[in-house]
Amino acid sequence: MRIMKMIVSLLIVALLLITTSCSSSDVGDTADKEKVTLRFATWDSGDALKIQQEIAKKFEEQNPGVKVQVEAYADGFDQKLVASFGAKNPPDVMYMWDFPTYHVSLEPLDDYIAKSSELNIDDIYSGLFNYSSINGKIYGIPAGFTSHVIYYNKDLFDAAGLEYPKAGWTWDDLRKMAKNLTDKNKKQYGFAVPGSPDPYDFEQFVWSNGSSYISPDGKTIEGYMNSKETKEVVKMFVDMLRERTALKLGGDISGSKTFKSNKLAMYESGIWPLNGIKEAKINFGVAPLPSFGRNKPACSVLSVSAVAMAKDSKNKDLAWEFIKFYAAEEAIKMRTADLPIRKSIVKEMNYENDPIFASFYKMLETTDKRTPAFLLHPNWKDIQKYLEDAFEKCFEGYKQNPDVDKIFDEAAKQASKEL
Amino acid sequence: MKSDAAALTNKPKPVNKSFFKKEKLGKLTPYLFILPWIIGFLAFTLGPLVFSLIISFFDWPIIGDFKFVGLQNYKTMFTEDPLFWHSFGVTVKFASILVPLNITIALSLALLLNQKVKGQSFFKTVFYLPGVISGVALAMIWSWVFNSEYGILNYFLSLIGIRGPDWLGDPKWSLGAMIIASLWGQGSMMLIFLAGLKNIPTEMYEAAEIDGANSIKKFFRITLPLLTPTILFNLIMSIIGAFQQLTLALVLTGGGPMKSTYFYAMYVYNNAFKYFHMGYASANAWFMFIIILFLTALVFKSSSMWVYYESEVKKSK
Repeated sequence: MRIMKMIVSLLIVALLLITTSCSSSDVGDTADKEKVTLRFATWDSGDALKIQQEIAKKFEEQNPGVKVQVEAYADGFDQKLVASFGAKNPPDVMYMWDFPTYHVSLEPLDDYIAKSSELNIDDIYSGLFNYSSINGKIYGIPAGFTSHVIYYNKDLFDAAGLEYPKAGWTWDDLRKMAKNLTDKNKKQYGFAVPGSPDPYDFEQFVWSNGSSYISPDGKTIEGYMNSKETKEVVKMFVDMLRERTALKLGGDISGSKTFKSNKLAMYESGIWPLNGIKEAKINFGVAPLPSFGRNKPACSVLSVSAVAMAKDSKNKDLAWEFIKFYAAEEAIKMRTADLPIRKSIVKEMNYENDPIFASFYKMLETTDKRTPAFLLHPNWKDIQKYLEDAFEKCFEGYKQNPDVDKIFDEAAKQASKEL
Repeated sequence: MKSDAAALTNKPKPVNKSFFKKEKLGKLTPYLFILPWIIGFLAFTLGPLVFSLIISFFDWPIIGDFKFVGLQNYKTMFTEDPLFWHSFGVTVKFASILVPLNITIALSLALLLNQKVKGQSFFKTVFYLPGVISGVALAMIWSWVFNSEYGILNYFLSLIGIRGPDWLGDPKWSLGAMIIASLWGQGSMMLIFLAGLKNIPTEMYEAAEIDGANSIKKFFRITLPLLTPTILFNLIMSIIGAFQQLTLALVLTGGGPMKSTYFYAMYVYNNAFKYFHMGYASANAWFMFIIILFLTALVFKSSSMWVYYESEVKKSK
């Protein structure tokens, strides 16, 4: 009896082992023989993801024998990507923005670029490469981007009898307009300030006022993060919140939702809410960011979706073909969730004179010489925590009349320790 | 049948002449049956556990190499990281309010269900139902409930003339909102209490009634003492659950506003998966493990003072 039991159990185990090993080797064999699989990871979801899948399909059509496996990591992008690198099993090609963290595991692309004249790199806005280079080496090719602009509600401006904002306007203009556009009884606000802004996005205001979070060489924080100019910007937004001419965003109050319900006259953002605002049939316009005065040009930060290659990829040549395809005319024209990166396409589509897109490209011009703090120091993510706290204390806690000077001096002191 | 079995057991053991040592392999068989579980346990529980203990002495950014740092991670978190103490404080505050409420409400529901009224099984189902929804789905529902403008909670408050607060946006209310949302899943705890209540022999109540005890006396003299072992169990489970709360904060507030809902579990999560300090996060997690272990041990130790086992009394008699 015992022997029988033992034999049966051993047989079961053997069977399990055989079936599992068989099935896995089967899959591997067929994939290897018939098709080369290229793994591509993206953070897109929903409609934007569909665009990526269509681009991948086009690439498959033009490259028979290649299968592109689009891996949609969505909100978990960083967690999944870092885990795949940690497990030495990264996707061949991936969307990338956080180059300081990942560049050690990415393939430098300079040699590939030098070999590929068909990429026509001069046609791509040079400012975009600023966001995908580390120590002078290019690690990603931009595929799409957005700059920041002000969306304004034309109906609300008309009702208040105000002229629409236009290029060359200042923050003083914006504040005056916001005051006229605010109506407490209607719960209508002139402007909106996020309660805990992403420091990455906020730096554009600091740039516009002539400062930055960290020195250009990435070595000094004291006198930058807590400079007079930085504090001025923060104080201005705190004042607007205290005057009740700006709505505090955060929690369940979303800027795009408020804008779409005609309760917000001016809203600062990138291209993300554009399609939603169009769908909501809001009578809106787009203006460049305001400046802090004549000699201080307004600056915008860019959000660039670049495409990068893993160092450990086994199909580097194919991966490069795919990256090139992503930056080529056909693929760029398929992208409707962000903006074209090629001058020729912008010209062809006449975006520079488009009432909506012109402002985005105007802001792109301002950004060439600006590098976000997170590209200037390898530990920026840790340093940024103190800045996040400082913003939150000032904006979330605006009712307590925060001492901006003290809060930012303290933040700079703490942050300097992490350098 | 019986004689057959007896005959079988009485039969002299066959002498083992085969090459295989049957006895030894025979002992192995049961383990082969649970092998899938053992593999799963080693690969997904014990393995990562040991791994996290080891890397808590390392600096490991996942992308890049391991660097041995000794006790530096532990030192940093106790002496240099204000967020560590803050998040720990938030969690302790959360747990110390939630746990007593949890026990009281679950017990009250169980007592209600223990009454002899019509439709008991219907109520049992209704009370248990919220516990079926869990995790992120539950948190999403609460984000609608708590919405300051359109939320149903503030709507009900407005009906009685109260202007509801901005539950998730106001640091004064956010932790309270978390506690309310956490009180939702009472189902399983309530059922355990109910089972405990059903276990109490009815003779005791009958005897007490003859002695003229009213229902309040019956509750405090019979029900509560005999329920203490169940309370002990639920208390420990509740403490562990409260200390590990993460989903609600992650989905509802992201730790804000002003870090008022920045739970310890979130602190660990962010260190690991936002800042990629895996070694440091492991050190954080082990500290949490020790704290929970300590609290559990404390509750167990104290149980001799307040937990009442019927069998013990019988023995002492």
